[in-house]
This record gives sequence, C-alpha cells and structure tokens, in this order.
Amino acid sequence: MKIFSTSTKHLALLSLVLVISNANAQDKFKVCADPLHPPYSTKDLTGYENKIAELFAQQLGQELEYTWFPERMGFIRNTLKAETDNNKGFKCDVVMGLPTGSDIADTTKAYLHSTYVLLIAKGRGWDDISDPSQLYNLPLPKQEQIKIAMFDRGPGTDWLQKHGLLEQGIPYQSMTGDGENNTAMHIEKDLRSGAIDMVILWGPMAGYIQSQNPNNYISIPMQSAEGIKFDFSISMAVRQGDNKRKQQLNELITQNKDKIHDIIGSYGIIMLPEESQKQQNQ
Amino acid sequence: MKKPVKNWLLASTVATLLAAPTVSTANSDLEKLTQDPANWASWGGDYAGTRYSKLSQINTQNVKTLQPAWSFSTGVLRGHEGGPLVVNGVLYIHTPFPNTVYAIDQNTKAVLWEFTPTMDADVTIPVMCCDTVNRGLAYGDGKIFLQQSDTVLTALDAKTGKRVWSVQNGDPKLGMTNTNAPIVVKDKVITGISGGEFGVRGFLAAYNIRTGQLDWKGYSMGPDKDTLINPTKTTAWKDGKTQVVGTDSGTSTWKGDQWKIGGGTTWGWYSYDPKLNLVYYGSGNPSTWNPVQRPGDNKWSMSLWARDADTGEVKWVYQMTPHDEWDYDGINETVLVDQEVKGKLHKTIVHFDRNGFGYTLDRETGELLVAEKFDKSVNWASHVDLKTGRPEVVPEFSTEAHGEDVNTVGTCPAALGSKNQQPVSYSPQTGLFYISGNHLCMEYEPFEVTYTAGQPYVGATLSMMPAGADAITGKKDGTTNLGQFTAYDAKTGKIAWSNKEQFSVWSGSVATAGGVVFYGTLEGYLKAVDAKTGKELYKFKTPSGIIGNVNTWEFQGKQYVGVLSGIGGWAGIGIAAGLDDGSSSTNSEGLGAVGAYRSLSSYTKLGGTLTVFALPN
Repeated sequence: MKIFSTSTKHLALLSLVLVISNANAQDKFKVCADPLHPPYSTKDLTGYENKIAELFAQQLGQELEYTWFPERMGFIRNTLKAETDNNKGFKCDVVMGLPTGSDIADTTKAYLHSTYVLLIAKGRGWDDISDPSQLYNLPLPKQEQIKIAMFDRGPGTDWLQKHGLLEQGIPYQSMTGDGENNTAMHIEKDLRSGAIDMVILWGPMAGYIQSQNPNNYISIPMQSAEGIKFDFSISMAVRQGDNKRKQQLNELITQNKDKIHDIIGSYGIIMLPEESQKQQNQ
Repeated sequence: MKKPVKNWLLASTVATLLAAPTVSTANSDLEKLTQDPANWASWGGDYAGTRYSKLSQINTQNVKTLQPAWSFSTGVLRGHEGGPLVVNGVLYIHTPFPNTVYAIDQNTKAVLWEFTPTMDADVTIPVMCCDTVNRGLAYGDGKIFLQQSDTVLTALDAKTGKRVWSVQNGDPKLGMTNTNAPIVVKDKVITGISGGEFGVRGFLAAYNIRTGQLDWKGYSMGPDKDTLINPTKTTAWKDGKTQVVGTDSGTSTWKGDQWKIGGGTTWGWYSYDPKLNLVYYGSGNPSTWNPVQRPGDNKWSMSLWARDADTGEVKWVYQMTPHDEWDYDGINETVLVDQEVKGKLHKTIVHFDRNGFGYTLDRETGELLVAEKFDKSVNWASHVDLKTGRPEVVPEFSTEAHGEDVNTVGTCPAALGSKNQQPVSYSPQTGLFYISGNHLCMEYEPFEVTYTAGQPYVGATLSMMPAGADAITGKKDGTTNLGQFTAYDAKTGKIAWSNKEQFSVWSGSVATAGGVVFYGTLEGYLKAVDAKTGKELYKFKTPSGIIGNVNTWEFQGKQYVGVLSGIGGWAGIGIAAGLDDGSSSTNSEGLGAVGAYRSLSSYTKLGGTLTVFALPN
C-alpha cells in the first residue's frame, strides 16, 4: 500500500512537472520584431515595443521569445505567418506595432496615437519656423533654399506637392536593404551632416532623432487636413483568426494603459489624446 | 638559344591571334550553338528570343504519345522560373535562392557538378519582394553565367563548375536584388537589376566575359551621361516620326531629384540583333509607387530600349505607359523577327506588355507600326495613338483622375498584367506569337492604412478578380478563368485563337517545327497544343505548379522537352509563402494576388522538379 501510494504520489508529481513544462513550452510570449529599428525595437531590447512586450510577458507569467526579421515589405509573411523550420508552429504569435485596422494581420485595439512631425535642424536659417505654413509662404528665393527629406509614399511628400514644394524635396527610400542602418538612423545622419535641413517624419522616428541630440531640433506636429492624413493609431497584431490571443492582448492594453503611456512617453514620442483617436476610428 | 625564342615568338603570335578573335568568338560560338536545334543555349533559344525550335520529331500527330522520360528534384521549395540550358549535350539547371546550379549528364542522369554560391539569407531574402525566383543561366565562352539573388554575377567553368570570377552588380543595402537571366553578347555578359519596390534606379550593365570588368552601364533615368542617351543621335517616336530626344530627357519629366529613386528596373529578358549590334529590353515601373507623388511622364520608366552592344549608347527608346498609375511594369521580353507590316518588310521587335497591348516596332529605327490589345478585356486605355505613340487613357479607370479617395473598380488588366514575365514563343511556320496570359482585373481601394518600415501612411489596396469577359471580343461573359493562352499576329494585331486556362499561365512557351506549342500551367500540367488551331493535343501533370519555361533539345538523335515545375512567384506566392489561410476575401500581402489564387492550393504543392519528356522508344 505504502509503496503503491508513494509511487502514485511520485507519478502525480511527475505528471504535474510535465504539465508545467508543457505549459511553459506552449505559452511563450512569442514576438516577431526588427532587430534594428529604433525606437520601436532592437536586438538589445532597447525599443519601446521591447519594453511593452516585456511588461506583457511578465504579467502573463510567460517567457518572452523573439524571432528577428527586418520590418519591410514581406515582414508579416516572413514572421507572423511563417512556420518554423522544424514545422513546430509559427515563428511568433504577436507583432507589437501595425496601424490599427491593417488587413495584413488582425489588429488589436489601439495603444498609441501619434502624428507626423516637421523636424527642423536648428542654426541653419530656419529657426523662426513655428508653423509648417510658413515654409510655403516664404519669398521664392528663400523657398528655393529648402532642403527637406521626402519619402516614397509618405504624407510629407503629398504635403510638399500640395504646397508647391516638391522641387525642394530630397527623395529618400522609405525602405532600405541596409541591415545596419534603419530609415530614422539614416535621416539622423543626414540632418547632422547638413545634407538635409528638415524632414516630415512619423512621430516615433522623429522622437528617436530628437532623443539623440535633444537641443538641436525644432519639432512641429503636422495637422491632418483635407486629402492628407498625418495622424495614425497603432495596434498590436496577431494572425487572422487568433481571436483568443487578440482578446487577451486587448485586455492587457486596457489594464496597462498608463504604464504603456509612460513607456512611450519616456522616448519623447508625441502622443495625441484619446479624443482624436476615437474620431480617427470612426 | 634561338629555338626557345622562336617558340616563344610563335606562342606569342598564336596567343595574339587567339586573343583578338576571341572577342567575336564567344558571340559567333553562341550564335552557332543556338543555330543547332540540338542545343538550347540561351533563355530564348536564340538571340532573337523567338523560343522556336527547328526540331520536328515530336509533332502534332505523335505528341499524344509523349511520356516523361526522367526527372530530377532540385531540392528547393520556392518558385522555379526560367528553364534548362542544353549545350553540347550537357544540361544545366538552376534553382531559386540559394541559386544552386546543376550540370547533368544526360547519359547517366548523374550530376557532373553542382555549385551553390555563398549568400547571406538574412541579408538577401528580406530585400526580395515577390518570392525568391531566378530566371536562369547564360552560356558563352565555355562558361555558365549565374546572376545571383544578392546581385553578385558569377562566371563558372562550364566543364568543372569552378568559379572563374564574380562581380558585385548592385548594392543590396539600397534594396537591389537580381532575378533575371543574363545574356552573352560578343565579349560581354549583360545583366540588369531588380528592386523597384525599394526605389532602386534601374540599369543595364555589360561585363567582360573573361575578367568580369564593367564595360558599360546605362541607367533608365537620369542625366545623359548616366542613361548613355546621345541627345543628338538617340531617337524616340513622336508626332508620327522618329525624332532626336534632346538633352537630359531622362530627368526633364521628373520633379526635382525624384529620378534618383526612379525605378525603371530591368529584371526581365534581353535579346540581341548581331547584324544591327543592338541589345533590346524593357524597363519597369517608376518609383515611388504613388503616381500622385511623381507628376510627369517619368521617362524612361516603362520603356523599350535599343542599345549599342559595344558602348551601351541608346539607339532609340519608346515609352509605352507614360506616368504609370497601374503598376504595368514594362520588363517583358522583346522578340526580334522580320515581318511584312502594311506592305513593307521590316526588321521588327515585338513586345507584349503588362498593360495588355502588343507592340510591333521597327527595331532599326524605333518606328511604331502596330499596337493592339492581345486580350480585349483590357480597358484602362481605349487604344494607342499610333501617331503620338501614347495610350488613350480611359478616365474611368485612372486612379489619379478619380482622386485618391475614390474606389476604382474593374480596371483591366490587374497589376500583374495581361501578361507577366513568362516569355512568348514565335513560329515562323504560322507567323503567330504564342502568349501565356493572365485574365484578371483589379479593384483599387484607397484609404487603407499601410505601413512600411515603421511609417504608417494612407495607401491603396489592390484586389484582383477574374476579368469575366471574352479575351477575343471583350464582351462580358461571367467567366471565372484567370488565364488565357493566345495566338496573335503581330503584323496585323489580330488574335488568331485563345484558350481559356483556369489559372494564369505563368510559364514561357516553346513553339516547334513539329507544329506544336508547349506551355505549363499553374496547376502543374505540361500541355501541348496545335500551333495552328490551339487544339489541346497532350497534357501531363508534373509534381508541382509550373512557372518555368518549357525548352526543347535533341540528345543522341532523340527530341526532348523539359520544364522546371515548382510553384511560387507572384501568382503562387500565396502558396509559396504560406499565407493562404482563406480567412478573408482580400489580402494585401503578396501585392493583392492572394485572394484570386486562393483555390490554387487545392491543386498543387511546393517542390522543384525538372521533368524531361520524350516519345516512347
């Protein structure tokens, strides 16, 4: 009896251990992210998306596991929707940042609402600009001196065109194949060297550039207007149909609203209020 | 004492004699090789890119008895474009990334040598937009030329597979990749560049076949010194005649410095006329993708080019789709045949564009002769004005005319074109071109929020659907086929016949003296049809979907037909990339191709195989 009892206990214990280890193996918080995309994510885990992922994994009691892939065309296809090499499930279950409502994956509720920023290097003759409209109201000879970065497909380019400034735009690729420099890093370098004097850049990226040299830039938020949209909401994303995980993330986003706000805020990123977020979602 | 000197002199004389003619030897060697139908020595079978074989052992009478003779697995799962080369009995095939090359002994079916270049998958794969295809090898001067995905151009000894030289043709850090098949012309190997999605500025480059040294490089846009356009000699078709283009035509239709990220990549196929010494090809879509952001004609994206093979200087250039709003990439192959048009014999160049028009031009002068729809469901333009050379755009299908906030519905063809990269064939017996076609239209949904490299913006989403109209008449008929295989007369612009295919035909065809045309289907069938009537004579299902080109050759007195199967590419990316989950009706991954092709996964699965066919003994 005793022996039997002991072995039963032993078995029970063993199966408990098995359950726990299985649970651990299955319930990792698996995130796909760009290894070099400050301020979003880095392999050194210094991005704000890394910090939020860490927070969520901690609260779920799960181990945080990353699969790294550059965030460009094909990112979702090569990460969230890609199976692992040994055919044991997907490379990850969560991507930390996509525009709300994107159909490329299933997005959660928004956790960030930001806008594009006109970022001007100080001391180059543009220090008196405090409103973007000043640029296109300048006398023509002065206008022709503007060196402003222009992005493939970005709303900044639409804005330049609308206000007759396209000729002053210096075109940049919005994606590069460079694994050692992302777009924000490239723009930061060119702003410093004087290749460009200003740029209309998405809030988090502008925040990153400013954080590198806090006193060197004038930062003016761009206002969405007829035909040009500058403000966007950002969500996390799961594979289409992964409703349970989406629900879980939605709850975490709600519960951690203030903490997320603090994390993003510490990166100097401009955040728009909830009101305009609601408007935007309608 | 005297003897060695004499020998040395003699040797040196021989070397000099050999060295000089070698310049033309590679060229005439290749020309000779392609004239012997036992070989299939370049992507197009010959310099003209006709993909016609004089072999007639397999013909309309006996093709029904065709059988697979042997097959070979490439061991790679991605999309297999291009086809086998056969040179002096040895068969050479290539794979998508990692771009392995196999030389196969046809007697033993054994691998003579194999070569896999060293490439960093983490660097290369993220830069490739639409699957990791490669369109094949080139042969010349005893070497096999491989244009690797990571932009490295490599020359291999055709006998041993040993690398002779390599050269960096582009910079992956700028988004450059390569998928094209090179061609060998004289003492040069000619290649292009891919990466329009990244804003790469396209070019054609010629490297010395022995050393890999760059001989010339001509960009698609930019100042004349970059494009190698001679402002006083290079001509373009304007107001009913060929006229010199003038200074800096490659920047004057762009705003500011936008030409620097102007696109016009050159990822297709190149042909060559040895008598005129001109290289022909098409350039791709302009960048940025958003047409509103790049006012102007955006020359010379979407254009046909004729360049001097020795210097790269542009003889003439013709823009097919000025200011592209539809992604009608102009890179499709150019076929060089002599034809009588409107009562006059011309050396013509024939090109079937993504935009749905088949163009016949005089290849000596660039004179526009014929431009007609080869699929009458095409509606984005009513016609091409032969005098101005410009398409008459129908405002209803212009995304830009509508403004960005209007949903443009039913534009035909879809972004993947009435025909994509899959090369046509031409039979001098029938005088007809055989076109592997797509039969889809698209819907352009603006105000979708998109995201590239961390920057959200308002973009457009494309969804594609069957054209639902007759390819010959253009009348709505509610059909659901996504492909057409069409015979077309480039002298008159008339469609001779057209067969429906359930899916896009993404395989290059071959026409033969046996009166048979072969092509592959996305479900994986190798098909043989009668060149005159289009009547289906034979089909066989290979292990995977076919996006490769069917080639034919002779070995030990027997005619063989060979094709690489292995689904992937743009049409098959839904399968190749595992994103075909069927959960939503539209999906912007795979550039809008996934929705329409969803059911393809019921017919075929991944895996690269060469299947070789012959008549039974």
